[in-house]
Amino acid sequence: MPVMFINDQPVDTGEHRTVLQVALANGFYVPHFCWHPELSIVGNCRVCVVEQEGRGVGIACNMPVAEGLRIQTESEPVRAQRKAMLQFILLNHPVDCGICDKAGECTLQDYHYAYNGAPALSHEPKLHSTKFFPLSERIILDNERCILCSRCVRFTREISKSNVLGMEQRGDGMRVRPVEDRTLDDDPYSDNVIDLCPVGALLSRSFQYQARVWYLEPTASVCPGCARGCTVQLWHRRHEWRLKGLDGSHNERILRVTPLENPRVNGAWICNKGRDLGALFGRPRAGQALLKGRPVLLAEAIDAARRLVRGAGRRVALVSSWGSNEELRAFRNALADRFTSFVKADHRPGEGEVVEDDLLIRADKNPNTHAAQALFGNAPADIPDDTELVLVWGEGADFSTLPRGAKIVHLGAWLQPENGYADVFIPISIQTERHGHYTSFEGVVSAFEPCQRRPEGVIDAETLFPLLAAPPGSDT
Amino acid sequence: MGARGDGGVKKVVDRRRRYWNEPKLGLWERFYLFEVLRGLSITGGVFLRNMTRWMTGKKGALTAYYPEEVRSDYARHNRGKHVLTQRPDGRPQCIACNLCATVCPARVIEIEAGFDPDDPAHPKYPERFVIDYARCIFCGFCVEVCPEDAIRMVPTVPGLPVPDRRPGMWLGKEELLNWQPASDPAKPYPPKAKAVEPPPPGSRLVQGEER
Repeated sequence: MPVMFINDQPVDTGEHRTVLQVALANGFYVPHFCWHPELSIVGNCRVCVVEQEGRGVGIACNMPVAEGLRIQTESEPVRAQRKAMLQFILLNHPVDCGICDKAGECTLQDYHYAYNGAPALSHEPKLHSTKFFPLSERIILDNERCILCSRCVRFTREISKSNVLGMEQRGDGMRVRPVEDRTLDDDPYSDNVIDLCPVGALLSRSFQYQARVWYLEPTASVCPGCARGCTVQLWHRRHEWRLKGLDGSHNERILRVTPLENPRVNGAWICNKGRDLGALFGRPRAGQALLKGRPVLLAEAIDAARRLVRGAGRRVALVSSWGSNEELRAFRNALADRFTSFVKADHRPGEGEVVEDDLLIRADKNPNTHAAQALFGNAPADIPDDTELVLVWGEGADFSTLPRGAKIVHLGAWLQPENGYADVFIPISIQTERHGHYTSFEGVVSAFEPCQRRPEGVIDAETLFPLLAAPPGSDT
Repeated sequence: MGARGDGGVKKVVDRRRRYWNEPKLGLWERFYLFEVLRGLSITGGVFLRNMTRWMTGKKGALTAYYPEEVRSDYARHNRGKHVLTQRPDGRPQCIACNLCATVCPARVIEIEAGFDPDDPAHPKYPERFVIDYARCIFCGFCVEVCPEDAIRMVPTVPGLPVPDRRPGMWLGKEELLNWQPASDPAKPYPPKAKAVEPPPPGSRLVQGEER
């Protein structure tokens, strides 16, 4: 284990190979635009300069570690060079932070305040370039803000391997452009370049001008889009910044989704399906308990379901593969002895969706099939014709294939036509309204937190199952 | 024991608090009727004088007919209402950067931004802009922080206390955007349209081209 010195303190280099990695791992922050832990080293932004004692200033991201190396990260020549570098990067930057969605989490902004802080020294007029270049249906590119760090280009070459983006021309005219025969629409991981972009050049169309980022806060969650179980951050409006005069639904919405870095599951990436969780969770909710389509009180519906659950005859349960570990366990403890249980696939691959690839996306489009099958087996649903009661938990069950004479108790969260067809419909909460855990196909358990208010008249499935097991007429 | 045998008659104690300047009522005042008539003649006299002035076209009492009238005794430097300044073409100068909403200590400004790709100089504009005057503390931070001189405050007060405005006395973009002064001594208004300067000779302009 070589030992080197950063700012005169001895540090252990460990497994790291470059000075930048060692410095970041040991708590010495070195600014960087183009370097990213998951991408290759290009060394073109030149702000990660450090001083090697006796040998002058060089870029840390590409400086190999050596025994006894002495590094200064904040010395006078280093700060002078960073300042000059920022002046250069900002030569043609429009500095339109007021209308830039990245403002507030922009590294260029941060480094400018930390190392430069001076107005432009240049008197030359700024060169203009393309604003709002449509890279894909999801992303627009503002070439004036681009600092040519090439993170997005390297991402499409090294991680998503779609090879869509490249640089064209030279010098002032250099800009990021898609290659001629492909578009970024074909890349199922394209939205990661928005997070990768250290400035506000790559912007999400769905998030554009929705809110300034300091109005938002993230809630840790798990993407339910497939069995991978990527950990994500759901960004929603902070409580103290709730809108009171404008559209109140804005306060409840998930405005954007970003990956929550997790080396055991998804690394630093998620796919575009995960970015659209706001739309998935924003679907119209069911908030009314129904008996054969007739609105009733929740307690009345629970009582009706209890009577059905206690009835004689064969009973089958279709267990949701979107239920959390806690809910699945509650179902097993309370009701499993009364039902023959099958695990149901709530979601199947949609049209045009990437079914499976070798980076993240899995063919099973449900988050918790692994845990559900561990409890209830993986036999395909086989419902005999003499079944008296079918308990359908969650989406994805085709009611026309259920036995004709069977009563149906449906626990659902969304407004769907089937709700009125069921004999008893009980509205249950969704992932963003409760705590819980999902088990990925690899057996990794990840937690999700609530970030939305549970609507009136909706019950958590975990609380509901013990209530259903109680005799009719008891308290709810 | 003997004291309680006399039929239980209790002495009424006057517990009213006495003040040092209690009025001393003479016989004339105690007679009541004349003093009441004197009071009525004072109020009636004022009423009749105001009525006469009102009917003869002069203004009567010192009453401002709010909200149609503005009180005459507001100071010149009173700043009671916000206005949104306009570009020469009538659109708001506001770029919906939300700095005013962020700096506002009472958090009364709310802005919904819109996207206009056809105006590359001002792609972000306020779709809706509302201020709640029930909570505004008139500190003027919003004016101070605005990078575009898009919001100013004027001496008037918003004519708000109308029943249908409650709860929350919100003013929207339409009401804030109708400020059309002939001139403002504090800062020039309306701002001159910026002429698009041709690039100086010798400099290159990287033209954006679409695919």
